[in-house]
Amino acid sequence: MKIHFKVNGTPTEVEAQADEMLLEVLRRELDLRSVRATCGIGICGACTALVDGEPISTCIFLAPLAEGCEITTVEGLSGDHPVQRAFEEEHAFQCGYCTPGMILTARSFLEENPAPSDEEIKVALGGNLCRCGCYVKIIRAVKKAARG
Amino acid sequence: MSNPRVTGAIRYAQDVEFEGMLHASILRSPYPHARILRVDASAVPDSVVVLTPDDIGDFGSYGCQIQDQTVLPRERVRFVGDPVVAVAAPTKREADEALNLIDVEYERLPGVFDAVEAVAEGAPLVHEHHAISENDAAYFGIRPQEGTNICHRFRIRHGDMEEGFKQADVVVEETYRTPGAQHAAMEPHASVARWQDGRLEIWTGTQTLFNLRMDLAGIFNIPESQIRIISPPMGGAFGAKTFVRTEAIAACLAQKAGRPVKVVLSRYEEWLTLNRHPATLQVKLGARADGTLVAKRVVCWVDTGAYADCGPGVAQKMGYAAVGPYRIPQVWVDSLCVYTNLPPNGAFRGYGAMQAVWASERTMDVLAAKLGMDPLELRLKNVLVDGDQFCTGEIMHDVHFIECLHAAAGTIGWADNKQGKGLCVLMKGMQTPSRASIVVEANDDGGYTVHCATAEMGQGAWYSIRLMAAELLGVELEKVHYAEPDTDLAPYDTRTTSSRSTYMMGRALVEAVRDLKRKGELGYGECVNKGGLDPDTGQGIASTHWHQGAAAAEVRVDEETGKFQVLKLYTSIYAGHVVNRPGAELQNEGSMIMGLGTTLFEEIAFEDGQPANANLSDYNLPAAGDLPESFTSDLFEREGAEVHGLGETALPPVPPAIGNALYSLGIHVTDLPLSAEKVLNAIDSRQQAKGGRT
Repeated sequence: MKIHFKVNGTPTEVEAQADEMLLEVLRRELDLRSVRATCGIGICGACTALVDGEPISTCIFLAPLAEGCEITTVEGLSGDHPVQRAFEEEHAFQCGYCTPGMILTARSFLEENPAPSDEEIKVALGGNLCRCGCYVKIIRAVKKAARG
Repeated sequence: MSNPRVTGAIRYAQDVEFEGMLHASILRSPYPHARILRVDASAVPDSVVVLTPDDIGDFGSYGCQIQDQTVLPRERVRFVGDPVVAVAAPTKREADEALNLIDVEYERLPGVFDAVEAVAEGAPLVHEHHAISENDAAYFGIRPQEGTNICHRFRIRHGDMEEGFKQADVVVEETYRTPGAQHAAMEPHASVARWQDGRLEIWTGTQTLFNLRMDLAGIFNIPESQIRIISPPMGGAFGAKTFVRTEAIAACLAQKAGRPVKVVLSRYEEWLTLNRHPATLQVKLGARADGTLVAKRVVCWVDTGAYADCGPGVAQKMGYAAVGPYRIPQVWVDSLCVYTNLPPNGAFRGYGAMQAVWASERTMDVLAAKLGMDPLELRLKNVLVDGDQFCTGEIMHDVHFIECLHAAAGTIGWADNKQGKGLCVLMKGMQTPSRASIVVEANDDGGYTVHCATAEMGQGAWYSIRLMAAELLGVELEKVHYAEPDTDLAPYDTRTTSSRSTYMMGRALVEAVRDLKRKGELGYGECVNKGGLDPDTGQGIASTHWHQGAAAAEVRVDEETGKFQVLKLYTSIYAGHVVNRPGAELQNEGSMIMGLGTTLFEEIAFEDGQPANANLSDYNLPAAGDLPESFTSDLFEREGAEVHGLGETALPPVPPAIGNALYSLGIHVTDLPLSAEKVLNAIDSRQQAKGGRT
């Protein structure tokens, strides 16, 4: 089937199976490799994309449900977005596999809560796991991005 | 902004694509131990390439330390998840669907799921014979015990243990258990294989390019020069991406298909591929009334699962790590690497040290209590200092345990109040013997390219090596390019494990830059560390270079429910000289957080050999919210000191520091993880010992 959505600002039409998850479609059809499979059950956040501004686990989000939505992945940020800049300046990553999901979740969260406490950041990132364990610096990066 | 991790531009092995590439799926055994009677894949459509046990007749067996594995098992499956049939199809979906069309008939056999039971008389044998591998990962004397499930027995015989215990005024004895754990790197195992004019090329996230190439050469019976391994950056590894994992199946399928084949494991399959060794350790420790240690006896049962992998090495390291960084005149250790019908266990951040340090450092506090002594004082009285002899006979140098311990004690206000507080000291060896080599090439544009096999798994090794190279060459960092590790271009390296790369490759780099300055275009350098232990006496050089640290924890326990909070967690690690400060902090903090998961909740549950929590919902990983209120660490440096690896040093001391903090409240838990249930049971035992609980 054909699905139509806006990806990183560009109106796009993709071919997908009706029972496919958005993760597969973004990677295969659009080569958006920042969206990554890990748990497959919506726990870890490595496959996070923003769907109409909300962080969504694309590994459990059926692709046809994205019809007409606006999807943002890290490829759609400038590379110099304040959250990206803060992650780089604070060295808030090791292997980098979970980083795009962290950045998108943090971006969405900071729009709702522009001056969060450490505790609020920890809760907001509860659905984004980092096995390298970079949380101390990730929290610092989110605070820095909040300060601008 | 250029960092590809932040822009999402980084490409892992799972992102490698080729025209006409097929995708693989694997049919795995549903039984922990069974004979394969019949495999019927006749219903699979022709568009799908099928690899069955009948196809692997000509292939050699492999195994990095014991040669106990074939690409697919020929007659018997030995664990739930043992691959039986592999398929490759144009899409992953077609490959998965083909698995449903394959019929395998099994005859079930009795299994064994615990290392202590597996060494008992009459236990089912997982393997009939134990052939020692020719891979250079079998770098020490391996002592399989034929006719048993023991694939390696490592012993330390230092002094006279019986005589030692006669001199002891106080003796404590305890048994400790640590469960299996999953590395759970965010990126699953992934590889892409293709054959080009009889040459095998594999892109795979691997920490062990050359060991992998050796095993593949044995499987296909071709020279190593006919195999090329390329290791893109990994999305975490922690020991899981070592030796042969998905590569042999990918290569066999690619050969049969005549096209490139990609294997990417599902999350569930990660639990069937490699885990951390469950272990049981029995520790007996004796001291004089003044706290002087006189004798120690340790038995380790190290469960390596259905295939040895590097289990013999893990058992060996666990054996000497369980002695601890202490002067003990009489030491006796038996460490047994034991087959069971569980998925294979292998290298896991710490490599046996975590299990050993848990048992050893918990015992120190039990002994201190029995002596009526301060646990810090007991440690300080016995801990190794420069010039002391370790139980292996080697003389210790560059030793920093005392300063690490003092820093740890200071952080939790040990001198003021010891309630709810715990300490731990740690000594961990580095791969010995080993060899690192590196080439530095001067480019026409004034830049330099570094070629070596040090793999990048998030630890920042490529960046650290570039930093060191830029400094040695006297150029800007941007001038130094690091080539993706490729066995066609990089010289030999033992492997990217045991926190050895910055130290070993860093030393090789000094030689290479010196050589380059002499020759102008190309410089080569290598670093060799010699040593090793006699497996029957444990005498020799365990490590040419020791990783050292201490940890401190403070807890608050809810005595009604057994739930407890870690209020404070701290580690002090001796770093010598830090090359990349943020990278070193990240490695240290990451080790502590992984240690926290091990302490509090990580445990693979098996029911009759079936993994019962093999997903990230039932098996929890630490999240941001699990950080203790106070979570800090120190990396100690000394003017002119050597680089000390620190990729895993801070993991093993975390569980005992927290366990000892509970013990300071009379809560004695011997088995990890420290679940509320176990803590509550320990509270009950304490109450009963005091004369009954109401």
